Formats: sequence, structure tokens, C-alpha cells
Amino acid sequence: MAMTKEDLLAIKNKTLAGQPKNWIRVGYSTCGIAAGAKEVLEVLSGEVKARGLELQVKKCGCLGLCSAEPLVEVSVEGAPRVIYGKVNKDVAHKIMDEHVCQKRLVEGHIYEI
Amino acid sequence: MSTVTMVKALINGKPVEVAYGTTILEAAKLVQVKIPTLCKHPDLTASAGCGICIVKVKGNRKLLRACCTPLEDKMEVTTHDSEIVQTRLTVLELILSNHPTDCLICGRNNDCELQKLAAEFGIREDRFERIVPEIPADKSTGTLILEPKKCIKCGRCIDACQNVQDVWALSFMDRGFNTRMAPAGDIKLADSPCVRCGQCSAHCPTGAIFEHDDTRKVWDALQDPEKVVVVQVAPAVRVAVGEGFGYPVGTNLTRKLYAAFRRLGFKAVFDTNFGADLTILEEAGEFVERFAHGKGALPLITSCCPAWVDYLEKYYGDMIQHFSSAKSPHEMVGVLAKTYYAGKQNIDPSKIVVVSVMPCTAKKYEIGRTKDMFASGYQDVDISLTTRELIRMLKHAGIDFNSLPDEEADSILGDYAGAGTIFGATGGVMEAALRTAYFNVTGEDLADVNFYAVRGLEGVKETTVNIKGTEVKIAVAHGLANVKHVMNKVREAIEKKQPVPYHFIEVMACPGGCVGGGGQPYMVTDEIRQQRAKGLYDEDSAMTVRCSHHNPYVQQLYKDFLEKPLSHKAHELLHTTYVSRPLYNK
Amino acid sequence: MKRVLIQDTNGKLKKETREFLVSLNSQLRDRGLSSEVQTLMAADIGVYNRGIALKVLPEGFTYVNLEQKHIPEIIEKTLLKGEQVAGIAREGSVGQMRIVLRNCGVIDPESLEDYIAHDGYQGLARALELGPEKVVEEMKKSGLRGRGGAGFPTWMKWNITRGVQGNEKYIICNGDEGDPGAYMDRSVLEGDPHSVIEGMMIGAIAIGATKGFFYIRAEYPLAVERIQKGIDICYSRGLLGKNILGSSFSFDIEIRLGAGAFVCGEETALIASVEGLRGYPRPRPPFPSVKGLWGNPTVINNVETLANVSYILCKGGEAFGKIGVEGSTGTKVFALTGKVRNSGLVEVPMGISLRDIVFEIGGGVLDNRAIKAIQTGGPSGGVIPEQFFDTPVGYESLQKLGSIMGSGGMIVLDENDCAVDISKFYLGFCVDESCGKCAPCRVGGTQMLAILKKISHGKAEEEDLARLSQIAQAMQKASLCGLGQTAPNPVLSTLKYFMSEYRAHVIDHKCPAGKCSSLVSYRITREKCTGCGMCARVCPADAISGSRQDKYTIDAVKCISCGQCFDVCKFTAVSRQ
Repeated sequence: MAMTKEDLLAIKNKTLAGQPKNWIRVGYSTCGIAAGAKEVLEVLSGEVKARGLELQVKKCGCLGLCSAEPLVEVSVEGAPRVIYGKVNKDVAHKIMDEHVCQKRLVEGHIYEI
Repeated sequence: MSTVTMVKALINGKPVEVAYGTTILEAAKLVQVKIPTLCKHPDLTASAGCGICIVKVKGNRKLLRACCTPLEDKMEVTTHDSEIVQTRLTVLELILSNHPTDCLICGRNNDCELQKLAAEFGIREDRFERIVPEIPADKSTGTLILEPKKCIKCGRCIDACQNVQDVWALSFMDRGFNTRMAPAGDIKLADSPCVRCGQCSAHCPTGAIFEHDDTRKVWDALQDPEKVVVVQVAPAVRVAVGEGFGYPVGTNLTRKLYAAFRRLGFKAVFDTNFGADLTILEEAGEFVERFAHGKGALPLITSCCPAWVDYLEKYYGDMIQHFSSAKSPHEMVGVLAKTYYAGKQNIDPSKIVVVSVMPCTAKKYEIGRTKDMFASGYQDVDISLTTRELIRMLKHAGIDFNSLPDEEADSILGDYAGAGTIFGATGGVMEAALRTAYFNVTGEDLADVNFYAVRGLEGVKETTVNIKGTEVKIAVAHGLANVKHVMNKVREAIEKKQPVPYHFIEVMACPGGCVGGGGQPYMVTDEIRQQRAKGLYDEDSAMTVRCSHHNPYVQQLYKDFLEKPLSHKAHELLHTTYVSRPLYNK
Repeated sequence: MKRVLIQDTNGKLKKETREFLVSLNSQLRDRGLSSEVQTLMAADIGVYNRGIALKVLPEGFTYVNLEQKHIPEIIEKTLLKGEQVAGIAREGSVGQMRIVLRNCGVIDPESLEDYIAHDGYQGLARALELGPEKVVEEMKKSGLRGRGGAGFPTWMKWNITRGVQGNEKYIICNGDEGDPGAYMDRSVLEGDPHSVIEGMMIGAIAIGATKGFFYIRAEYPLAVERIQKGIDICYSRGLLGKNILGSSFSFDIEIRLGAGAFVCGEETALIASVEGLRGYPRPRPPFPSVKGLWGNPTVINNVETLANVSYILCKGGEAFGKIGVEGSTGTKVFALTGKVRNSGLVEVPMGISLRDIVFEIGGGVLDNRAIKAIQTGGPSGGVIPEQFFDTPVGYESLQKLGSIMGSGGMIVLDENDCAVDISKFYLGFCVDESCGKCAPCRVGGTQMLAILKKISHGKAEEEDLARLSQIAQAMQKASLCGLGQTAPNPVLSTLKYFMSEYRAHVIDHKCPAGKCSSLVSYRITREKCTGCGMCARVCPADAISGSRQDKYTIDAVKCISCGQCFDVCKFTAVSRQ
């Protein structure tokens, strides 16, 4: 059924209402992918699944801080929302272990600008 | 009734009023201002490439190109000031830095648009380092020679080949400084769709595309005491050759040409118009066979244009049965020179050299096209020269052309009816054929032999002619881009088994017909085409014998030699066959 | 729990920062706060060249130029009471304003729901209500000017096209982004494709178009993929096709790919390309608004422009018009690259100074080298030396300096960048990309490049500088399109501001920046050489020989002046002249 103007509002409200409390966004445009975001995404998604966490891992566009790609933004209850840069496999694991699980921010990779 | 908006503007301070749409370049002429141009050709759409015609317009910080910018109301144009002149000079110096310095040995020496501009601009030094890429010439067609080194990338040849002729043999390859003119796919011109119509060479400002010069061969033959060199001249040449000698466009110089040929040393002077009359007898005969007696497919399509023959073999090979098997007029004169004339004059045909002077570059390819062109037992036409080559030969020969008296041709293959001479204009073949077809069908001559409906420069002319109650549907197309409009209609009707839209079709590859041929003098425009054609139509109107079938020398030829039109002998000597040679696999 | 993010913002205070951190941790421990406060080193907290700095989360207070003596007050006031400490707080922060990039990094670009959740297609709905004239009005209020570089008022372009009679009108999104180093459009197409689709539809409503084209360069496969996905989703949900959102507006979009030609970013060449012809520009007039694609009235808008459009129709033109400065409203996305610490895309309100962009947001010059100039506008732009860094960014303001804003390329040059080399690079790009149709650009560019090569090899004469200028002027005045008209800009700009460097090349046969390898020679100063042999190991030409005993020397004949030895020597024993 073709969309109507009312549908727009309805979809907006529904989507906003359904926003997850915990989420991770991975920069997944050309700059991110070129820097290795694919592997980072795999690690994060893999860990979320393995640990059975209620955490949405989602691809997003370029945040603009291209020299720090791969970029990962993390928002989980119990810790402030931050952006991590120059994330690789190891840092991704640390994000899961330390930030997500232990609510401790990971050293040396925060881009809080 | 349409209203034309007029605009009033100033050019160099002088007021000028023109219809909206007039370019600054054209408007400037009204106030005696000549804005220099290079890539612009009056016959083609402006490409706006070279950057020479730039002018200043008040209120615009950019310099605009006069060749393609329409004059707007209240515009204030400056065409020459120190800034503009200096910029044009630099642009020209840049173009020259990319051009070889072969002027003295180039075919366009003294007739080159770039040379002229350099002289006009007073170039006295090579300000920039000369960078000319080494690109080999393409001589593969033996008709047109491509020399990309000399190309100034004006794009005229490509516009003519792609848009005017719809042949698409030439294109620009690569880009930027490496841009060069070549057939797409970088193949040889002979392997490309090129039909040798020569429109590219006729529009080229420099020596980048030049006709294969055969004048040396003619000189050699003329100087050979063993050889009997004879010449024939096409209708379109006589109304164009004067442009090389200061005559007004369209001046009919037939008899001066005959005199010039004799001074050059030709043993006999024939006229292709005789061949044209002959072609009509054969072709009108064909038409009546098909139209009145149902023997053969309709429509009948003319085939005297060799570029058109090449094109039809490549793209309309499935419709070969529609093409007239009659050869082109000059080929007919050629074969007769080495048989009929040789016999009558008791000359050994192996010693005869036939030279055709044509407005056409494709004839150079036609004379060796198939073994049909050797029907006399020798090459029927040995050399084909273009009008441009003739002009150069005449100047080289030390003849004061303008002061020559009028002389006559050798009537045996040289006298012609008015119908023969109008072959040079688009619609002329059709008109000539109708005059004789009418006679063939009705046994009577037309009261008025003029068919105005087939004359003129409209791309496709369609009309219906009434031959004593029977309707004959006719189409005349000129410029190869217009061919498809007519041919596709026919092809569609045949496929759908519907009645054909035309009975008789004339096709000329060059816009305007042969008067606008690829070998004619440079700088042609529609106005010039019309003036040259007028020269022919005026000659026709003034003649007593206006129908081919009334040409007494043609009648004599049949009586003495060929028996009758479409006879066995006529077929042997005056007819040819075609082969489907599709260029691209379907 | 509070978080304290600490950073050495100068890049030279590693030791001091570590000590600060140790002291902070120890004082927190003493006060029993270790489990309430996490302290850690951050990679970047958005402050640069301000000594030791820290940021406290969740409050967001930022303190700069810190010394250990500040620690107690920070603990007392901020960590315990959540109050800001005056005196060490960062003053006047310069920030980005993300309008074009509003959704980039926020939404999943492949999700329509996510876009709608962030007010997506509200602008379209409003445009349908307003109708063409009022939409143009709204755009006029916004003051939006074309972001592709020309800066033509968008409302005016739409209005002209709206007024032209025509059965078929087109709107084309120019995604051919060809400036070297510019990738703003790519990020928008990849990160927020619907914002551009929506912007195009709004433009179509304004001008009366029924068909739109995305012209995206083939070198952007991900952008093409995401836009295609966006288009497909819209069709499946009725946002494209017939009677959109229940109105009488029907619209179709198609993607056309570029094929590696920078010149096809020029309007008329783009049109020729979409028509399937060789990408040659055409003379104007007639302008595309009147006679464009297949002879029909056509509007061509840049990606960034359209991303602004959807925002403007959603939030209102007047609000947009208040951002930026008069004459240059709204924001601009810059691709900040070169010798800068934080290279990437920055979106800032117009009117911000160049200095702020490069130093406050960009973090200043890499390795703390001396800045030479900022190059803006890509191959059509120019260099701006330090004395003009306080110039506010805007269309006219940059033009006055001999550069342009262009599509947003901003390249930071330091002392090791050579003005001649930079202009040679850009001109070389234009010569490569020249379509070849008009002589001034085709031959002029090549001749200029030949002269620049001569200059960088030390083989030029003074006369050559005059020739450069002569050709440059002819190209500017007589080229058919913007490529040729602006190709001389980097050359002219560097000649204007860095003539001394040119003269050094021509007259002294020297390259002051040490970039032009033919003019640079390297020597090892014996007294400084420790004989470590690193230089010999990295030399690709085997030109360095010696031993720990005898020290090392460079064979000038074999040396290719690559500079590797210079870069690798820890003892500055290799000198360059």
C-alpha cells in the first residue's frame, strides 16, 4: 500500500519508540570500510551474539573523523555515550569486555569532540 | 503567421537590429565588422571549440563566443580591444604550437584557414615550444588521407560525418591534449563505415583530411607520347570551378573548361552529361519495365552516386533488387571511350587513358570498385580528379583560365540534353528520368518538362507525378542522414507486405547533390549549393534539347553500337551488380 | 560514575601528562574516590595545542593548560559537586554544525524507517502542501546557494526553470565529485541517501519535473549501491512512482554512471554524458534551465545542495537563513586534508574563520610543523597564506583572496610543500582531465604544465614566468567551460603569494621547500654522523656508503634526492639544500 502523510508520522513514532536502550554504531562508509570496519563489525556482532546481549549493532555513515576510522560509537546503560576511533579487532574485543560488560571506558581510543 | 522578435543592440558602438536568434558573429557583419573565426564553418553548427571569436559583452565578466551566442536586446558588444586581441593572439599561438610547420609541402599551402589566420594576426615568432604528437597518416582508403598531426580539433569533419551524413566513420579518440581524429575503435578508415563521400575533406580547415591527389598521374599520362588521354567533366564541376578563379558562384563555365582541357593536352574532350543522358535511357527503361510491365521490384532506386552505392551495400544489402543496375554516367562514358569511341576513331583502346573530372571523392574508389568497372577489357576510367585538383592543375599549367575563349567538346560522347546537366543537383536525376519515363510510357513528350517539386534543398522531397492518369510516387533524398527516412519506410512496407510508399527514389549522398560534393571548392553553404544548382537549371532552361531521349548523339550510339536500352550489349557494358557487405554483424 | 578523559593536546607533553595522570589517580585514591571516578587517556577531546587538557563526563566540562596544582580544585568542585571550575575552563569553543551530515553516523543509511524516524520526508510532505511557488519562496528565504562551487542561488535556478515552458523537465543530481581530495558528496550519498532523494523530489515539485537522474561517478560504487537501494525502497513503499503521498505528484528516478571524466561534473558536459554522447561542454547560452537534457528545461543540483533542501523544507527557510553570514547562509562541509592532524569532513557554519577550521577543529598542523598555506577549492581554487587565515569562510570572501570555496576541498600545506609543486600537481590534474574540445584549455594547459615542469627541474628562464602568465590569462578568458577557465587559478594564486619560491627555482635553481627533487641535494655532516648506517639501509639507490668507523657519505651522482635518509636520521646529520 502506498505511503500516506499519516504513515510518515506513524512510522516515525513507532521507530522512535522501538529504539533500543543499548546500541553500538559502526561507521560503514567507504572511509570506514577501507580502514577495516568490516572486521570490527564482525567481532562486535559475533560477541553480542555469543554473549546473548540485548544490544543492537548497527551500520551507519561517516561521522566525519575519517583519519580516525574505523569509528565505533557505543551507548550502553551505565556508561556515557562515547565514540571510539582507530578500532581494530583487539580494541573491539576490549570495547565488549570493558565498556559494554564492565562499564569501564577503554583507554586511548576515545574521540570526544 | 509567426512574429519574429527583433532585438536592438550595439556592436562597437554602432546600433544594429536583427531577428532574435541571430548570432553576434552574423549581426556584426551588418556593421562591417569581421570577427575572426577558425572552427566555425558557415555550413555546420558552431562547436564553440577554438576560442578565436571571443568578444566582450558589457555586464558579463566572461568573454563570449560570437559564433554561437545570440545577440540579445540592449547588448553592448566590443569585438576588438587590446585585451580581446591579445587573448585571441595567445589562443592562436597556442594552436600553432600544436601544429607542424609543413606548410610549404602541404596540399593546403596558400589555401589553408589556419595559415590565413596566422597571416592576418601577424604571427612573427614561435612563442611557445612546439609540441606536435607523432601520429601516422591513414592512407588506407586511397581516396581520403587522414593526417591527424595537422588536425586542429575543430570537430567539423566529425560533425559532418556523424550528424550531417550519419555515417559515423570519424570520431574523436582519447581526450585532452591526446585528442585525435580517427575512426572509432582506432581502426583504419578503409575498415570503418566510411563511404568516401569526402564531406569531411570539404569542411576541413587545414590539411588534416585531404583528397588523394592524382594530378601527377594525369600529368604523366599527358606527357606520355604513347598515350591517348581523354577527359570528361561532370555537370557539378562546371558551375564550381569558377570559384577558384574569382568568378561569381554558379557561373557556368562549360565551354571555357573545354578550351582549358584542350590546352592541357587532352586528345578528346567528352562530357559526363552525355553519360547522364545515357544513364537516363537505361534507367528510365528499367523503371518502365518494373512500373508498367511488372518486371522487377519497386521502388526503383538510383545508383549513380558511388558513396550511396557503398552505403547501400553496407546497410541496405537486403534491398539490392531495388537498385538500378545502371552504372554511373562517367563510368558509362569511360567504357564507351574504350570501345565505341576507340572503334570509331581506330585507336588501340589499351593506349587510351580516361580522366574524369568530378565534384566527388568517392569516384576515386568507384573506378576500381569491381570487375564491372573493367567492362571494356581495360579499366574503363583510369583516373578520377576532384574539382579542387583540377583548379590546382589549371593554375599549375600556366593557363590564363579567365581569358580563354569558348570551345566545343567532341560531340560523339560530349553533346548533351538539358536533362543531363541537371544531374548535378539533388532531384536532377529524378527530373531527367521522369521526362524520359513519361515518353516511354505514353509515347509523347511532356508539355512542361520542369518538375519543380523535386528541386531544392529540403532533405527529403516527396511528390506524386501523374503520367497520363497513373500516379507515380517519388522520393528524393540527399545527405546520407536523410536516407533512412525514406529507406526504412520502404523496408517496413515490404516486411509488412504493404503497398510501397514510393515507386522511384533518387539518393545523393552529399547534401545538395553533386554540387555540394566532397571534392568541390571549400566553404560551401546552402546558399552556394543553390547558386551552383541554379547555374545548371539555367543551362537546362536555355537548351533546345531538354530530354535525354532526344539527344541525337545518344540515339546514334544506340543505332550504331548498343542497339537499344537494356540490350544485351548495354547490359554488358553499362550495367553493374551489387553485393551485400554488411559492416556489422546483426 | 564520572569519567575523566585526559589528553596531551600539544603532542609534546607525554611525560608531563603521564605524571599528571599519576598524580590525579593518587589524589583520588587518597580521597577514596577511585571507584567513583574512572580516569583514562583519551585519543582526542577536541582541544588542540592547549597543553594538558581534560574533559569530565557526563557534564562535559573541558579544562585546558593544566598543571598538577589544578587537581585539588577539579576534584573538589567538579568531581564531587559537579560544578565547573572557572579559570581553567576552555573558552569559546568552535564547533561543527551538522546539517548536511545530520544523519551521517546516526542512522542506518539502508533503513527507510531510520530516516523517517529522524524527520525524513517531512520536507517532502510540506513541499507538496506548499506547492511550487511557495517552495521557491522558502528556498529564497533560506538563501541557499549551490554547493558545487558556483554558488548560484538555488531558488533562482529553480525559479527560472519553473518559468520555462516545457512538456518534459528534468532534475539531475550531480554526484560526479571530481576534485582531488574532496569526498563530501560521497559521504552524504553513502551515509544519508534519502536526504538527497528527498531534496531532489522537492526540487522536482518546484520546477515541475517528472523525472530525475542521479549522475554518480563510477568510482563511487558504494554510493551508487546505497542510492539505488534507497530508490528501490522508495518505489516499494510508494515514495516514488505515481501519486506520491497521495498527491498528484508523480516522479521517477534513474541512476546514470560517470565514466572517469572530471569534466563531466560541468553541467553541459554532464548533460552530454547522460545523453550518451562524448562528455564535451556546450556553449551557454542556452543555459540548461532553458534548454538542457535532450533540449528540455533542466536543473542540475549538487549533492550537498539537495541534502540542505530536505532540511530547509522540514525546518523552514527562515531558520536556515539565520545560520552563517549574509550572502553565505547555512553551513558548508569541508574535506579537510593534507598536513593536518584531524583529516576528515567538517561541517561548519559559514563565516567561521579558516584559522578556526584548521586549528580548532582540525587540530593544527601535523607534527607541529609550520603552516605554509591553506589550499581551497580544488583544482579551480588557490592558496591562502597565513596572513589571511582570519578571513571568514564564504563565497565572496574567498574569491577576493584569489581562491574559491569550490566544492569544499581544503588542503593544509606546510613548510615542506613547494608552491611550484602544488600548482604543478593541480595543473597536471586539469591537463589530464581536459576534454580537449577547446584550444585554450587543451593546448594552453599542456604548455603551462611544460613550463612548470621546466621550472621544477631548474631549466626555466625568467621569460617563462611571463609566458605562464600570458597563457593563464588566455585560458581564463577563452576556455569554453569552467575547467579551462579555472585551471590556471592555482598557478596564478601561488605566483601571487609565493613568487619568491618561483624565483628561487628559476634564478637560483633551488627548491626552498626541498620538494622538487632535481633541485634538492643531500649531504651528510661528518661531525654529526654517528655511523649508525640507517641512512645507507633505507637508500633505494645505493648511494650511501661508509662504516661506523669512517662515517657515511652520499654519492651525489647516484643520489636520486628521495629524502629517505633525511627523514630517517635521528641525529640530523643529513642536511638538505
